Amino acid sequence: MQTIAGPTGPLARAAKVKTRMGGSTGETGSALWLMVPALAIYAVFTLFPVAVTFWLSFTNSAGFNTPAEFTGLDNYARAVHDPIVWQALGHTFLWLLYHLVLAGGLGLALALAIGSLGKTRTFFRTAFFLPHLVSLAVVGVIWANIYDPFFGLINTGLIGLGLGNWTQGWLSDPSLVLFSVNVASSWQGFGIYMLLFIAGLQNIDSSLYDAASVDGATPFQKLVHVTLPGLREVMTFVVSLALINGLKGFATVFVMTNGGPFYRSELITTYIYRLAFQSQDHGLAAVLCIVLSLLAITITVVFTRWRARLAQ
Amino acid sequence: MFKFLVRGAAIAALLAASGYAATAETLRMWGPEQITEPLVAELWNGIKSDFEAANPGVTVEFMPPTGTISNGAVQAAIQSDAGPDVILTNSGIGRITVVKNAKQVVPLTKYYEERGWKNQIYPWLYADLQGQFGGEIYEVPDGLDALGIWYHKDLFAEHGWSMPKDWTEFLALMKAMKQAGVQPIAIGPRTPASAGHLFGNLLQSASGTDMVRKALKREIAFDDPAIAAGAVRLRELVDAGYIDKQMAGLDLEGASRLWFSKRAAMFVAGPWFTANARKAGYDLANAGYAPMPSDLPGETKPTGGVGWSWLVPVSSKQPELALKWIDFVLSDAVMKKRAQNAASTMIYPRALDGVEPSTPVLKEIFAAAAGGVGYNPSVYLPGPVVDIYFQVLQGVISAQINGEEGMKQIQAKLAEAK
Repeated sequence: MQTIAGPTGPLARAAKVKTRMGGSTGETGSALWLMVPALAIYAVFTLFPVAVTFWLSFTNSAGFNTPAEFTGLDNYARAVHDPIVWQALGHTFLWLLYHLVLAGGLGLALALAIGSLGKTRTFFRTAFFLPHLVSLAVVGVIWANIYDPFFGLINTGLIGLGLGNWTQGWLSDPSLVLFSVNVASSWQGFGIYMLLFIAGLQNIDSSLYDAASVDGATPFQKLVHVTLPGLREVMTFVVSLALINGLKGFATVFVMTNGGPFYRSELITTYIYRLAFQSQDHGLAAVLCIVLSLLAITITVVFTRWRARLAQ
Repeated sequence: MFKFLVRGAAIAALLAASGYAATAETLRMWGPEQITEPLVAELWNGIKSDFEAANPGVTVEFMPPTGTISNGAVQAAIQSDAGPDVILTNSGIGRITVVKNAKQVVPLTKYYEERGWKNQIYPWLYADLQGQFGGEIYEVPDGLDALGIWYHKDLFAEHGWSMPKDWTEFLALMKAMKQAGVQPIAIGPRTPASAGHLFGNLLQSASGTDMVRKALKREIAFDDPAIAAGAVRLRELVDAGYIDKQMAGLDLEGASRLWFSKRAAMFVAGPWFTANARKAGYDLANAGYAPMPSDLPGETKPTGGVGWSWLVPVSSKQPELALKWIDFVLSDAVMKKRAQNAASTMIYPRALDGVEPSTPVLKEIFAAAAGGVGYNPSVYLPGPVVDIYFQVLQGVISAQINGEEGMKQIQAKLAEAK
């Protein structure tokens, strides 16, 4: 028996959807034309620079005013044999870790602390978010002064408290410098993570806490068994964001140490800048840009897949 | 009739305006780094007005400089194609090599003859410039540096200290300073050039001008013991606590603050430090200046070289006007006006008869430099080597490496550089 759906039946609705999705040739053409401006902007400002960077990595370019010769894989070989590249790569991973723990951890801790507040929550949320509005370059200048070994807030404070032996060369000690600069960077960055965690906390069903209370769960047990699992999705997003932000770390290092002392705070990004704009070695700088991009893609993909597997 | 006159006047005004627009020109420049300071701004606004008056229809626009060749700002500005038409920046062969190799600056050689610039700088300076790039010249020197030790006259008088004659006495002086609870030397190697200032002085003191010249011309290696001696001395000063290794975390501003507050007794700087002192409210009459003592006869002298130069970027929209500006700056009237001004902070590229330095400490610096200056390697090392050079100095000051190792790394990079 043949079933004929009326003009308002499921078949008609499906046909409308199909028209919207697939559409006729004329509609597809119009859609493509409408996409042209966005595609053009994407091509000019993203695809073209990516292509140029890729091309530069095979040349000995010293800037756009000089003819660049094709040098094959020379720049890649130079990158492999350059000890500063490896050092900067190691520092970049350490920087990522610090950023994840300091900025991500502080964001989570403050979100948990503020989440349980009443009327004062808005005030603290705003106050803790404020550093995020300060530019990283300004943050660098402020913290470089805080770390000043002779006049800085930390060392003079320690001396004032009679703890002169605890004073450190925060930006001169090779084992401390990367951590010190990362603290400044994380201080600027934790606010956004805190807001994301607060949003996540608000989405956790309160009945779960009620049920846990009825079961006699302690606050710590509620945190471990209700809050943290409830924040899983937000955490995935925050970790991905923190990893990408960490990889982009540049301004505070550039302002506070310029990669020093003796390359002890050199990151891939600061080394790229040094090569491209100070030494005009665009070929090697382009190779490191590609390495950095691959690193970002790999870390994000691996992390996302790992999270997906864990969720299953 | 009235309408006719009004229309005529309007047309004339339009024509005049369009004619003006056709001839109106703007020369955009990066002036001195301290242009935001009131005294310096007053001087340069005066020079700008004089130039505009001498060139009707021309407007000079100062773009506050955002950096130097060393930190890549000059290169970025030129590369942007929206940068200045003429640039005053820290120079010297090492820095100029970077922008010259990137073909970012216009060769100016022929103008030295055509516009008579070669007669407006010291003959030895012209010869020096000619010898840098096989005869091609890319800069016009604006000022020379003379780096030596700045000290507080009152602090020295209070403790009965005086600037010694040789290195051994200098070590004894630093020991006395440390015992008196004063940091002997302040240094801010986070500003790379600052570390270079001190190290250049130590190199001059330990090795002498001729040996340093040979090293810079690659006639002897940087890790040769005769040259490495300067780096060894630097590390010895760190190990003895005469240079606190925590200073590796200071920049020029932080180190200056340490000196201005008299928590440090000595600071290695050039005549430009008068601007920093003025800004900090330091009494310049209390500042003394002396070259770094040396055991080598005749080698107790400041280090330096070309400190600041005018460059014409290839992206200059007004190259002809840029040349006119350089003519103007080199003129006697402008150079004397600058030299006599209280904002003056440097040694000019030619002798200026009848001009008295504006502060007592500048007189001392000019007197110390009158017998010639030694080399400041920061200015003479090739561009690709400068970075490792500064990092090595930071490494020695933070006690991460010793002098010999550091010099080996510099030599290795020097061997790679073209």
